[in-house]
Amino acid sequence: MCRFLRFSIFLVGLLGAVGSYAGNATQPLVTADDLGPHVDQPIDFPHDRHAGDAAKGGMEINCMYCHTYARRSIVAGIPPLQKCIGCHQSIDSVRETPRIKQLFEYWEGSADGKIAARTPVPWKKVHDLPDFVRFSHERHVQRFVFQQDKPAQEVCAYCHGDVKTMTVARRSKSLSMGWCVSCHEKDHLVDASSINTSNGPNDCWQCHK
Amino acid sequence: MIDNNFNRRDFLKVLGWGGTAVALSACGNTSVEDGRELVTSYSEPADYVIPGIGVYFNSTCAQCDAGCSIMGRVREGRVLKLEGNPDSAINRGKLCGLGQAGVQAHYNPDRLREPLLRTGDQGEAITWDKALELINTKLGGVQGEQIAFLTGGISGHVGVLLKNYLAALGSTNHFAYEAVSPSVVRAANKKAYGVEMPRLRLDKARVIVSFGADFLGAWVSPVHFSQQYAQFRKDSNGGRGVLVQIESKMTLTGANADRWLAIRPGTEGILALGLINALGTAGLKVAADAAAAAKNYTTERVSKDTGISVEQINKLAALLKERTPSLVIAGSAAEGYAHGSHNAAAIALLNQVLGNVGQTVEFPASVPFPQIAPIPGNSYALHALNDDMAQGKVKVLFNFGANPVFTAPASMKLQENLSKVPFKVAFAHYLDETALQADLVLPLDSALEDWATAVPEYMAEGAQLNIQQPLMDKLHPGTRGMGDILLALLKQRRPEEYKGYEDFYAYLRNALVQNKAALGGTGKDDDTFWTETLSNGLVKLSVKLPETQGKLSGKASAAGLILPAPAAENSAYPLHLIPAVSASMRDGRHANQPWLQESPDPLTTIVWDSWVEIHPQTAKKLGITEGDIVEVTSRSGSVKAQAYLFPGIHPDAISIPLGYGHEAMGRYAKDVGVNAFKILDTVLDKETGELAMHETRVKVSKTGQRVIIVKDEGAVGGKQMGKKIAVRVSSDKIDLSGEV
Ligand code: SF4
Repeated sequence: MCRFLRFSIFLVGLLGAVGSYAGNATQPLVTADDLGPHVDQPIDFPHDRHAGDAAKGGMEINCMYCHTYARRSIVAGIPPLQKCIGCHQSIDSVRETPRIKQLFEYWEGSADGKIAARTPVPWKKVHDLPDFVRFSHERHVQRFVFQQDKPAQEVCAYCHGDVKTMTVARRSKSLSMGWCVSCHEKDHLVDASSINTSNGPNDCWQCHK
Repeated sequence: MIDNNFNRRDFLKVLGWGGTAVALSACGNTSVEDGRELVTSYSEPADYVIPGIGVYFNSTCAQCDAGCSIMGRVREGRVLKLEGNPDSAINRGKLCGLGQAGVQAHYNPDRLREPLLRTGDQGEAITWDKALELINTKLGGVQGEQIAFLTGGISGHVGVLLKNYLAALGSTNHFAYEAVSPSVVRAANKKAYGVEMPRLRLDKARVIVSFGADFLGAWVSPVHFSQQYAQFRKDSNGGRGVLVQIESKMTLTGANADRWLAIRPGTEGILALGLINALGTAGLKVAADAAAAAKNYTTERVSKDTGISVEQINKLAALLKERTPSLVIAGSAAEGYAHGSHNAAAIALLNQVLGNVGQTVEFPASVPFPQIAPIPGNSYALHALNDDMAQGKVKVLFNFGANPVFTAPASMKLQENLSKVPFKVAFAHYLDETALQADLVLPLDSALEDWATAVPEYMAEGAQLNIQQPLMDKLHPGTRGMGDILLALLKQRRPEEYKGYEDFYAYLRNALVQNKAALGGTGKDDDTFWTETLSNGLVKLSVKLPETQGKLSGKASAAGLILPAPAAENSAYPLHLIPAVSASMRDGRHANQPWLQESPDPLTTIVWDSWVEIHPQTAKKLGITEGDIVEVTSRSGSVKAQAYLFPGIHPDAISIPLGYGHEAMGRYAKDVGVNAFKILDTVLDKETGELAMHETRVKVSKTGQRVIIVKDEGAVGGKQMGKKIAVRVSSDKIDLSGEV
């Protein structure tokens, strides 16, 4: 039974691979057991509310509005507390909800004195790579968002899953080397207007410096 | 209270807990940390901060006294790597390996984290308030002259506060001690040129004759000299410069020389006079007194005394005569004898005879503020302090930046004398050998966390004032900066004078801003001047020297020059011991930085251990092969280390590198190698009272044990992997007629 399941997952994967190859889609292979652990965060940040589709009650904020470093640095960066407060201090409608009250405790300090004012929220890491891998957000965002003109929500989802439907983010891709390579091997359009394609780099040193 | 004996091991255990905490928080070097590691964000980031992209801040290297300027790459609030600051004339954007290892002084897991008080033989962590109050109490009833402050070489505003503190205590006992310093050469220079450290123009010289000055490795300002050396090697002055290195043990500079001449230990001065004589014979105009002094040093006699062939001496004289300007340098190998001053004086005289003074030996720049001027350390200071302690004259001893329990020869009985001091305070980064003897240990900020100014003793071009500033927040909340501690101590004594300064930063800012006109800040408002100064990391001072002062005139004379005959054979201790100062280890103060242990010695390629360099001929006579554990015995003690057969050493000498053999100072330094300082005989230079480091005679015997030496390669110029690459030729086999 188990073997059968595995085989069918393999087949689905294979079909998916063929399909995506044919369609020139950029998504790498995904399997069900790529899901990362549930991570308890200090605040249950609702990604769906901020970035989700308007039809589903989301505000369709561009990922890079908050993760602003992604296009300029190897890391996407967690938005500074100041950024959260910048908007939320003028959104009275939710000011008294539990999560926002909690957020302001980090900014103004908590009444019991346990949290000092201007304390960054101690978020936990959801996506991590081993230290011997050098992954550059900048490189990927520049390529797919700016050269190919794809929406950030879609591009980020290649690796981070459909974050715009999640509350607290959860890893949904394996982020293993084989998984990376499965995408690097595909043909990608060079830019939005071009019909030329190229692969992602496959030299070891591109990631292992 | 920690119920442990107050000894090194138990102290380390205490530290170990802190170390574990660091290890835990830094875990996951290669593992994936989903859902466990924090991704702490900024609360209000500065505009220029982008996570993942480094920002560079300027500061000053504190690994040695050369005063190179550094830029630290800081990412996410952590300093990651040091580079050289291109704006400094001293290092022009470069750093040496020792400087690179500076981050390991900062992140070292064995750093002290809280003040520690000795009670009996137990150790106790106490608060800073208690520690400072204790000092205050202990100073009560002690007369000023019974208080002494031991430091290394010191300069800048920390030096100012230190002097003020001593003055407030009514003491004049500041002992600046450096175990390895060119102090004898300084004194000889002062006599010969009127300045202690003239500016040497390697770049202008067409031939350099260095008597054991390892200026590319560990001497005075090696990064600066390396760059000048590159100029010297280029064609800029009409032909590539020629370097002749004369020493008994090959240094890194010796390995780079065109010609390396092994001289009988201690006869450097004789060769210098021999060269003066030979130059006179060859027709160079030599002043009467110098000629008279050199008259008896015929080439044949000099050859016999020094072991350098007549042919080589004549060739050297011809080279010096033909290629001007030249430069002759006296290094640590020449000065390390009881007659070291005379060796250095003879070499200075040779410079003068060659007309180099004012040409390649220039007047140095200096800062116009005497109170922040460098106080270079010497070893005489320690002898003076040691005598005072032996006589019970010292009741309170402060120690900052020196580790005499490690660097003093055993024959000085320093540890015994130290125990006669009732109250000893050590300001320390690590629990080193000296801190272990203290009654109160105060933990210091690392050089990458602390504020200071530094004035290099050796200025490259113009005078400069270096700024040392924190590159990141403190790693350990319980450490403090030296400036801050001194300020707190001064507030105990002169509250009125210092109450306006909240901390050392405020003091420093005020001191510089008040003098901004002299520091190039005329017309700028205080904030602009201060911000610019910090962002530059140094202040260049444009000091106009009076015409008369701007040029050095040679005052060297042969008067009083007495050079003894070469050391007589000593059948009990037949060999000379040359304590080697390597570019990474120096005097051992950084032996706990693993990069320095791990980077192979440039000449032997040995790592993580001491070794005894023996000439293959001598080894053969003694039946020693590579890897034999040999016992080296002097009149003052003995050490055991692995033998390394090395052709770059005089057959009458052996060499052991300094800096190894710590008994404390943390996991990377402790028990690695042996301490060659310990077996040095206490022979002093007759003029300056400096320890004559090369005067120790030893015998070598096999112990019967053997090891495989951990090293990368074979001996310099030997066969490499069985292939003849860059083979060596002994100097008497060269056809000198075909040479430069
Ligand atoms: S020479 Fe000294 S000051 Fe310069 S980089 Fe090396 S250790 Fe630092």
